[in-house]
Amino acid sequence: MSGETPMVLLPLGITAASALAVMLAAAVRGPTPRAATGRAAEALSVLGLAAALGSQLAVAGAAPRRVTPLFVFDGVSSILGAVVLASALAVVLLASAYLRRLDEPWEEIYALLLLGTAGALALTSSDHLVGLVLGLETLSVSLYGLVASVRTRGDEALEAAMKYLVLAGAASAFLLFGVALLYASVGTLELPALTAELSAGTPAGSELVTVAGLAFVLVGIGFKLALVPFHLWTPDVYQGAPAPITAFVATVSKGGVVAFLLRLVAAAGAVARPEDGEGLFVVLALLAGASILVGNLLALLQRDVKRLLAYSSIAHLGYLLVALLAGGELGPRAAVFYLIAYAVTILLAFGVVTILSRAEQEAGDLDAYRGLFWRRPILASAMAAAVFSLAGIPLTAGFVAKLYLLLAALDGSRFGLVGILVVGSVLGLYYYLRVVVAMLATPEPETAASEPVGASGGVALAGLGAVLIWIGVAPSAWLRILGIWLGG
Amino acid sequence: MLDLLWLVPVLPLAGFLALTFAGRRLAKPAVTAIGVGSVGLSSLVAGAVAAAFLGHMPPGGVHRQILWRWFDVAGLRPEISLHLDALSLVMILVVTGVGFLIHLYSAQFMEEDADFARFFASMNLFVAMMLVLVLAGDLLLLYLGWEGVGLCSFLLIGFWYGEPANVLAARKAFVVTRVGDVAMAIGLFILVDRLGTLDLQAVVARAEAQWAPGSAAVVAVAALLLGGAVGKSAQLPLQTWLPDAMAGPTPVSALIHAATMVTAGVYLVARTGGLFELAPSIRTAVAVIGTATLLLAAGAALVQRDIKRILAYSTISQLGYMFLGLGVGSASAAIFHLVTHAFFKALLFLGAGAVIYACHHEHDIFRLGGLRRSLPTVTWTFVAGAAALAGFPLVTAGFYSKDLVLWRAFAGGHFLLWGAGLLGAFVTALYSFRLVFVVFWGETGTEAGARPGWRMTVPLTILAALSLVGGWLGLPAVLEPVLGAAEEMAEPHGTELLLQVLAGVVSLGGIALAWALYGRPGRHGDPVADALGPVGRWWRAGWGFDALYDRLFVRPYDAVARALEKDPVDRLPAAAAGLARGFHRALALTQNGRLRWYALSLAAGATFALYLVLTL
Repeated sequence: MSGETPMVLLPLGITAASALAVMLAAAVRGPTPRAATGRAAEALSVLGLAAALGSQLAVAGAAPRRVTPLFVFDGVSSILGAVVLASALAVVLLASAYLRRLDEPWEEIYALLLLGTAGALALTSSDHLVGLVLGLETLSVSLYGLVASVRTRGDEALEAAMKYLVLAGAASAFLLFGVALLYASVGTLELPALTAELSAGTPAGSELVTVAGLAFVLVGIGFKLALVPFHLWTPDVYQGAPAPITAFVATVSKGGVVAFLLRLVAAAGAVARPEDGEGLFVVLALLAGASILVGNLLALLQRDVKRLLAYSSIAHLGYLLVALLAGGELGPRAAVFYLIAYAVTILLAFGVVTILSRAEQEAGDLDAYRGLFWRRPILASAMAAAVFSLAGIPLTAGFVAKLYLLLAALDGSRFGLVGILVVGSVLGLYYYLRVVVAMLATPEPETAASEPVGASGGVALAGLGAVLIWIGVAPSAWLRILGIWLGG
Repeated sequence: MLDLLWLVPVLPLAGFLALTFAGRRLAKPAVTAIGVGSVGLSSLVAGAVAAAFLGHMPPGGVHRQILWRWFDVAGLRPEISLHLDALSLVMILVVTGVGFLIHLYSAQFMEEDADFARFFASMNLFVAMMLVLVLAGDLLLLYLGWEGVGLCSFLLIGFWYGEPANVLAARKAFVVTRVGDVAMAIGLFILVDRLGTLDLQAVVARAEAQWAPGSAAVVAVAALLLGGAVGKSAQLPLQTWLPDAMAGPTPVSALIHAATMVTAGVYLVARTGGLFELAPSIRTAVAVIGTATLLLAAGAALVQRDIKRILAYSTISQLGYMFLGLGVGSASAAIFHLVTHAFFKALLFLGAGAVIYACHHEHDIFRLGGLRRSLPTVTWTFVAGAAALAGFPLVTAGFYSKDLVLWRAFAGGHFLLWGAGLLGAFVTALYSFRLVFVVFWGETGTEAGARPGWRMTVPLTILAALSLVGGWLGLPAVLEPVLGAAEEMAEPHGTELLLQVLAGVVSLGGIALAWALYGRPGRHGDPVADALGPVGRWWRAGWGFDALYDRLFVRPYDAVARALEKDPVDRLPAAAAGLARGFHRALALTQNGRLRWYALSLAAGATFALYLVLTL
């Protein structure tokens, strides 16, 4: 370890330390009024995440550096680490008003959020299978708690947490088994070494074991990213979890996993060209195509906005996979760009949902959005911007990202997937626009409780909206940064 | 002085803008001042321009005022330019002069209308657009005016939009003239494509240099321009909109029939005469269409009962004479007739309006009668107008202009057309005085209520004077340098005189027959219609063109629309949507919320992935 090493570990360190600090604050609560502790936890989280994000941006762009065998800090970890931290910060800001309305202690939720973020952050920089498991488990275990964290949500949240616990446990088992198989056949857990071994040619007979191992690892990752057919948990968990936690699941937890998938595909790509019709890539392509179609079809007539966004996220991860599969120089860049646009957009959408929700009565059904334009024009405009971006309509981040993705896919001659992507986008328009239609409808006479946005929520929404439009209107700066950080 | 030419169209346009944006807040006198004053000022400017133009003729007889270049794309550089020569000078004098009188008259006629300001705004725009049309130095700008008058006719025919029939009439006028407009637009496209310009002078010059007489391109262009002219000027086969166009207030009819709109087609053919000269077959078609129209419309006018419908058909018929003049190569005769017709037709419509105004909106001439006693001014001015229409010899303008058209047809060797025109003249005299005798003579029908005030009688008197003396203006001599002199007359002067006498006799004969049938005291009913029987009913229905078009176009179109209403083309997308919905329902079954099923899916997916990587 050189003297500068702690610098690159700083974001992770700050995040973990913030988690500890929040836990301490909760522990020493004692007789202090609950709200004060909660606010202290909130402030600690915001400050910690902001500091972590700052340090992450400060160390970004440095030469790739390996720290312990588990982690590597390079362009991918810089960008996706920043995405994870920024998403977490946005979630914390958005959650503030929602959590303050709770009739129960909420400071633990911040501790769990920070822990989960630390896990995701670890994932972004791990290029070792142990690092993968480590990060993934830290993230997952936090999520189990988070989904069930708000007792006021009642059985719905508990059921969601239970389902998530069982299924994620099973998926982790697959992942671990896959790791074990890989170790058995190749004898290493480091991705670079794994790649080297694989390209050198695996010993005869163990080849099947290797690909089976990779396939199982893929199952674990597919579950986390909610790719079809490992997606069935998604709508139930998205619906059951408290709205801000859903936003966390939809963004932070995906960001870390996508980073590892990027490395994995790059590693596998070094062994076999994607064009060769090699097994792993066929599986990925099938996952992508199925996710796009099934996700969009399931969302088609959905009336619950949280479930709708869950299905939408399934489809969007399918789109992202198309970029990954496109390979070449454009592919990974398009995938990362797409993830950024997706995160901004879905955070904005869930942000509006969060602000409109109370724990006992979340703004799930589309009816809660009827006439929103006339009641709360700014919130409705934010939601509309998010929905347009999800649909990929010009002047939004979603359009530019999808365009970039299509270019990458066409560049990589992935014509079949492009066709599916187009079909999926058309399907998407239908249900995305339904949300806008509902918001424009004549408002119900009995107006729903109008929750204040809150200062932090307002800041988060404004920031997200601004970035969404900024990317949509003038994406060149973003693309340039992406190009510099990812190299090439 | 000539440099003030741009004010001529701009003044009414300014009036339109002022009334549109401020009309609701202005009091009626202010609206009147703006609405009537703008056109009045415009006519004064036009008069001054005319004096300057005639006093000091610019070289070539053409004054061009280029206001600015519109755009410059791919070699096409249309300019917003005004083109003043004898033809457009005559036109702006007629449009502003007659237009002003109609506006003045409207100030009283429309006084009680709640939408007073909207009325004058539309009227001003109408005049402005017509002025743009006749002053345009470029066919593109002309087309702007062309469509502008189309729009205004729509707005004004449907002015009383509370009545569905009026809106239908407006729509009919718009749609039917649109058929011609499309033809004209295509003609302009060909001109741009082949000649690369739409400038009036350049088009004719380049066409003469580039196209052999009778070549396909020039024939096509001339035919398409004729299509446009036929639509606007209500000639066969697009004449059906004009009789219905009287749904608007009567001054609107006067404006449409005299000063604006219908004369646009005649003007267009006269203006692009160079192209028609290169396409002799189309020029013959112009004459034939004109002749057929004048006969048909005269027949229809003979059996109408509605005072405005009679006048509407007579307009179609008189426009037919103008087309006949254009077709036999004497545009100056056609424009001469256009001018005199503007005088007497405006007069007749305004007179009819005064009758309708006085008699509680009674349109049926057989329920009117004896108005000579209660409305003397209206009666005598109306008689002057009818005499001009009938071509009463020597003392009316209509006699000279119509006779000139017929003489040119005869002199050009078109004896059949001449004969038909003469027959038409007879019928014209008959129906004009049928109208006069039934409405103003005989027993008193509907009592006259309100008496027209000076704002109505002054225009009537001025127009009556013009209808009588307008024939001595010597217009053809002014116009011929621009429009081309007719060929040297083969026939000696004596023949012309003989034909003039013949035309006079025909006209007098028609009037005498009208007196015999309708004028003598104690006559009742409608002997001509009775004598004609079913033929009369056929003619009254406009020779069944509406019914024919209804069967030929409207109903099939409706049928197609009805068939498409259920969107058979939409079936495919609808099927796709249905398919998507079906898939959604099927997939939604997988989201049953049961954990063991979810776990099974996870396991099955893993198994399938394993199978794939192991077999591929």
